[in-house]
Amino acid sequence: MFLTRSEYDRGVNTFSPEGRLFQVEYAIEAIKLGSTTVGIRTPEGVVLAVEKRVQSPLLESSSIEKIMEIDSHLGCAMSGLTADARTMIDHARVTAQNHAFTYDERIKVESATQAVCDLALRFGESVHDEDAMMSRPFGVALLIAGVDELGPQLYHTDPSGTFMRYDAKAIGSGSEAAQSELQDKWHKRMTLSEAQKLTLRVLKQVMEEKLDQHNVQLAQVTPQKGFEILDEVKLQEIIEDM
Amino acid sequence: MPDMAALAHPQQRQFNPYSENGGTILAIAGADFSVIAGDTRQSEGYSIQTRYAPKVFRLTDRAVLAVNGFAADGNMFVKKVKQRLEWYRHAHAKDMPLRAIARLIQTMLYARRFFPYYVYNILGGIEEDGTGAVYSFDPVGSYEREACRAAGAASSLVQPFLDNQIYFKNQRPAAGTSHPAHLPLPTVLSIVIDSFTSATERHIEVGDGLEMYVVLAKGRTLQGLEGIRGMQELTATEDGERVFIVRRDLKRD
Amino acid sequence: MDHFPTNWGRPRNDAFDAYGTHPIHQRPYNGPKDAFADGVQHTQQPIVTGTSVLAIKYKDGIMMAADNLASYGSLARFKDVQRLCPVGQYTVIGAGGDMSDFQYIQHIMEELTIDENSAQDGHELGPVEIHEYMSQVMYARRSKMDPLWNSLIIGGFKDGKRFLSYVDLLGTTYSASTLATGYGSYIAQPLLRKAVEGYEDILTEEDARKVLENSMRVLFYRDARSLNKYQIATITSAGVNISDSLHLETSWSFAEGIRGYGAQTQ
Repeated sequence: MFLTRSEYDRGVNTFSPEGRLFQVEYAIEAIKLGSTTVGIRTPEGVVLAVEKRVQSPLLESSSIEKIMEIDSHLGCAMSGLTADARTMIDHARVTAQNHAFTYDERIKVESATQAVCDLALRFGESVHDEDAMMSRPFGVALLIAGVDELGPQLYHTDPSGTFMRYDAKAIGSGSEAAQSELQDKWHKRMTLSEAQKLTLRVLKQVMEEKLDQHNVQLAQVTPQKGFEILDEVKLQEIIEDM
Repeated sequence: MPDMAALAHPQQRQFNPYSENGGTILAIAGADFSVIAGDTRQSEGYSIQTRYAPKVFRLTDRAVLAVNGFAADGNMFVKKVKQRLEWYRHAHAKDMPLRAIARLIQTMLYARRFFPYYVYNILGGIEEDGTGAVYSFDPVGSYEREACRAAGAASSLVQPFLDNQIYFKNQRPAAGTSHPAHLPLPTVLSIVIDSFTSATERHIEVGDGLEMYVVLAKGRTLQGLEGIRGMQELTATEDGERVFIVRRDLKRD
Repeated sequence: MDHFPTNWGRPRNDAFDAYGTHPIHQRPYNGPKDAFADGVQHTQQPIVTGTSVLAIKYKDGIMMAADNLASYGSLARFKDVQRLCPVGQYTVIGAGGDMSDFQYIQHIMEELTIDENSAQDGHELGPVEIHEYMSQVMYARRSKMDPLWNSLIIGGFKDGKRFLSYVDLLGTTYSASTLATGYGSYIAQPLLRKAVEGYEDILTEEDARKVLENSMRVLFYRDARSLNKYQIATITSAGVNISDSLHLETSWSFAEGIRGYGAQTQ
């Protein structure tokens, strides 16, 4: 696919004769270059974990932000072109706030995910005087974690705007190995603490550096406390506990 | 002698986009049920336009909306609320909860703050936690949850009666007893019927017919509704809340 | 960015309300404005007017009546105006109020029926649909503070069902087994109710005609903007029929006996 570049590579919205949108597929490939990100759903809540690639000892590792809050009951971890995720998360945040304003209730995890995915295919050429929103697809995949009336849920979105619900999902460069590990270790009655340790263990396996509290980030969404990013102290405890 | 001061200024006649179509609505919340009622007369001035124009509408299996004031605005408003409920159902794969409907109605009313829907809304039904609830609104969207509310032409007659019978205002409980927090369904239905027969006697814009909607919480038995004449079930889905309608004649004079 | 999906794909105006503080489904209009908007005058009052329209349900369907007068203030200006007009095969619209607005409504209805007919999709506009459509038109115009100054009665018969409903310049709607607009709502409506309520399925065409004729006569006696020349429409399973103009027989001999005002000395 990458060797034979064709004329269908030029227009971002042009189908190839086999019925493919190459630019969207390349965007999905771009995610596989991103840092590994893992999410696990348990009955007690959802855990998100990301690898922070600290490329230089002079880099302030706390400035790498790959897990973000959407609403008090919704969190999001990303892999790929993280800058693109800001547009999506901004949209998700506004949508969630609008929902709360209009309906006096928290937006469902699926609805927030759908809202983000609505953006995905809004790229391409602009129509006469209207300025198009984006010139290319998003190059980022998200793991959206949240708790609503249907319980804790984990969703995965990709640049094609497709979203699916998972019990456990890994994205990014180490995702293949990580995903098979998750498939082995995930079980229905997993506790939140088990899930925390599993995400770190999975990350540890696929990371080149030695895992510590500076090069990973861990967050969780629980029915009791909603979304929270775990601080380095708490992270260290979990790592020691592993 | 014409008022010369008034004549000195050029007169401006303006089209008045509002009218007032009479009638009265009311709703009472029980512990695990809600009753929403309205008469069916529609009038303008001293003329009865029709003896049957519903003012109470089933929105979902757990929400019923009563609308009173300017009928054209009322009908349009109900139509728009129903449309929004359907959009919500498509977008979120569930029926909108009662408190969400209440908030939605506020935003819809306030969106027209400077050209209001000239209607008083009362929303009744069952809350997510299974309790009976009544929400009342003013035309621009101020709202609160209450145990009971009357609105419309005869509200000034009915509300004090409700205050006395539902909130036990100006009543002292017998020694060693206390007032009940919630009344049983048969008592509530009697109070509703009495409210409307009295309002019919004393207000010219009330009469012709009475429609009472009863919403029962999930799993609640029909207890209190057995033997109610001409009751009809309107429930759309299984094993959830249930909606019934009861119709009564009111005097037509 | 614009967070409202309803705005997507439409021209934007980022300088104004970028965060879309309007409710989601009420998208603000950012398109070009009419440069003459300030100069547009809306109807403030009716000019050439028609008076009452009467309508009742009877055994076979709906019967309606309206006279042939269009007044200019108190002047009986046009005496051969038809205020009952067929729409499609199943419906009649009767109009009181401004006659130029009514002509515009007839124009809308003609356009609508042609559009619907040319679709050839097996749908036929019945009285229910026409009434709903007109209600939306009337309410939309009142909401623009530019009303169509009419009271309309829409009668019809389709699929074995009678339909009789009202809509006016405010968008107010209602239906009943007897309807009357304008002066008719004060003078004819009590007569109609007495004759029709409870007898909707018993009243024959002859009975119905008699009731309407008598009501039109009473209106002619009491309504200074009415005429003794009128038409009757029936809408039944046989379709729409609008009669030729009919003449009201009246008797004024009783006037001789009236004392207390007028020119007579005793």
